[in-house]
Amino acid sequence: MKNSPIADLSYRHYDGPLNGGATRWWSIAKLSIQLAMKKKGFWVWAVLSGYWYYILLAVFWFVESFIPSPVPGKHPLLSAIIWKDQFSNAFNISQLLLFVIALLIGTGTIANDNRANALLVYLSKPCTKLDYIIGKWMGVFIPITIVSLIPTLFFFAYGGLSFQEYGFISDWWLLPKLVLICCLPGALHASLCIGISSLFNQGRIAGAVYSGLFFLPWFFTKAMQVVYVVLSNNDNPKGKASLKFVGNLYYASMDGIQIGVSKAILNTGGSALFPGGGSPRGTQFVPIPPPNGTAITVIFIAICVIFSGIAWLRVRAVEVV
Amino acid sequence: MKLIDIKNLTVRYRTFTALRDFSCEIEEGCTGLLGPNGAGKTTFLKTLLGFVTPTEGGGTVLGLNIATDGRMIRQSIGLMPEQECHIPGLTAVGYVAYAGELAGMPADQAIRRAHEVLEYCGLGEARYRNVETFSTGMKQRTKLAQAMIHGPKLLLLDEPTNGLDPTGREDMLSPIRDISHGKGVNVVVSSHLLPDIERVCDRVVVVMGGQLRTQGSIKDLKHLSGRPYDVDLREPNEQFIANLTQQGATVEALKYTSLRVITNREPSESVKLILETAKNCGARVRGLTPAERSLEAAFMEVINS
Repeated sequence: MKNSPIADLSYRHYDGPLNGGATRWWSIAKLSIQLAMKKKGFWVWAVLSGYWYYILLAVFWFVESFIPSPVPGKHPLLSAIIWKDQFSNAFNISQLLLFVIALLIGTGTIANDNRANALLVYLSKPCTKLDYIIGKWMGVFIPITIVSLIPTLFFFAYGGLSFQEYGFISDWWLLPKLVLICCLPGALHASLCIGISSLFNQGRIAGAVYSGLFFLPWFFTKAMQVVYVVLSNNDNPKGKASLKFVGNLYYASMDGIQIGVSKAILNTGGSALFPGGGSPRGTQFVPIPPPNGTAITVIFIAICVIFSGIAWLRVRAVEVV
Repeated sequence: MKLIDIKNLTVRYRTFTALRDFSCEIEEGCTGLLGPNGAGKTTFLKTLLGFVTPTEGGGTVLGLNIATDGRMIRQSIGLMPEQECHIPGLTAVGYVAYAGELAGMPADQAIRRAHEVLEYCGLGEARYRNVETFSTGMKQRTKLAQAMIHGPKLLLLDEPTNGLDPTGREDMLSPIRDISHGKGVNVVVSSHLLPDIERVCDRVVVVMGGQLRTQGSIKDLKHLSGRPYDVDLREPNEQFIANLTQQGATVEALKYTSLRVITNREPSESVKLILETAKNCGARVRGLTPAERSLEAAFMEVINS
């Protein structure tokens, strides 16, 4: 009796409740999110990703609080601000940091399971390949979308409360549009991550491939941005004629596609980060006009579908014995 | 009751036929799945789980059609794979509870049950450690725990004692034996280790070349035809052998002073004949048991036939 355990340690059959099949993907997504949140790097990059909003908040609060208007009435500096362009700019700037988060939490999502044979655990349970893919997709999509959404909504709330007289909410669809564009990085990175990750057995290799896929076109499109500005500031008629083509090439990268779709959604080409922006040598900021909305949206969706499809083809019930 | 009923199952991978006209019936209890590498055990288990669509034939597991009810079958089955298959970054209790959630258990029930099954599998003290830090034996028992978390009616255990030392084997086989006898859980154990199969299983299914070679109880498989008896004498006695031979018995010398005696009489008559002959010849009998062969010998005979 002295050595008896306190609890009954013999085997007992489980006869408790069981959830339906519709919740399986959520269990998978939930674990992916929990594992992502355990990483310190995730929090660091998540906080950093909204840095442009913090700068804007600080600048606008400083202008509003400490710089008196030279003329009676509205402050001319704030009146000159195109507010939706501030969201567009912040969205563009956050792309690189959101990519780092995707690299951190997404590229190993299936590759690590491949390495650890964890697919056997998933697929031998009553969850389908679709549950697994959706769960993994959501496990990347939800954190990135939340990281993108929080500073955006905070800035929207601050602007809506402080600068309504400066036309902050001139478009009543601005909030739904902002929510929609905040979903873009999550959707694209989730699709790319699960597609690339499913091709490898190691998260690091998947991450390296994903980085290559991101940065090679990224350098190219940034170069196209420079070319566009130079051509715009030049009087050469041939250069002017090729502006549209160069402008479209600017959107030919992972972040370019997202920027393109976001511009199409917000219906803006963008503007200087602050009014009067330009270089001291006289080169004026020239916003690249938004691409064809339908075309860029179709390309965006096609990329998401193709990479999700790769994951669908690659994930299969592996050897059992 | 038939647990698994497979009829004329053929599974092809393009041009390669992994299972050919395979039929078998597995009853409740603990059954061993035996066969050399490439025999078709893998494909058989994959087909039971609904991973592979049969080319021809079909069957049922727990009354569910293997071709159409894969998800429902997996709800009632627990698989312990041969390979390491932990989920990186999880503790044992987190991993097993997660397996329970994948099987549909609510999170609070899954975590409670995970503690129970880990305790049952002898991992109570280590359950908060990361699975990646476990020894091979502990990983094997964690896999067993994740397979039984949702209370399956059938457990498929693939090489459960692979890579374990004798103590680890005992720690693994004890719960398997326990759960499959009197706990209402049926077990199919795929293993190359015949002593392990003999220790925990009541029946075996022998597969080779994608076809069923034999199936039945281990007792029947080990049974020798002709009702032989093994007689262990205190010292050799030639007259005893000669007298038995004179009375129509076949006597075969085994190791040391043991003999295998085969008569064509009823068991009680055979025993009477052996003991009376020994008495008449002055042979001192140390032991008299119905003869049976080892499972290994039976397996080799089936494989080589």
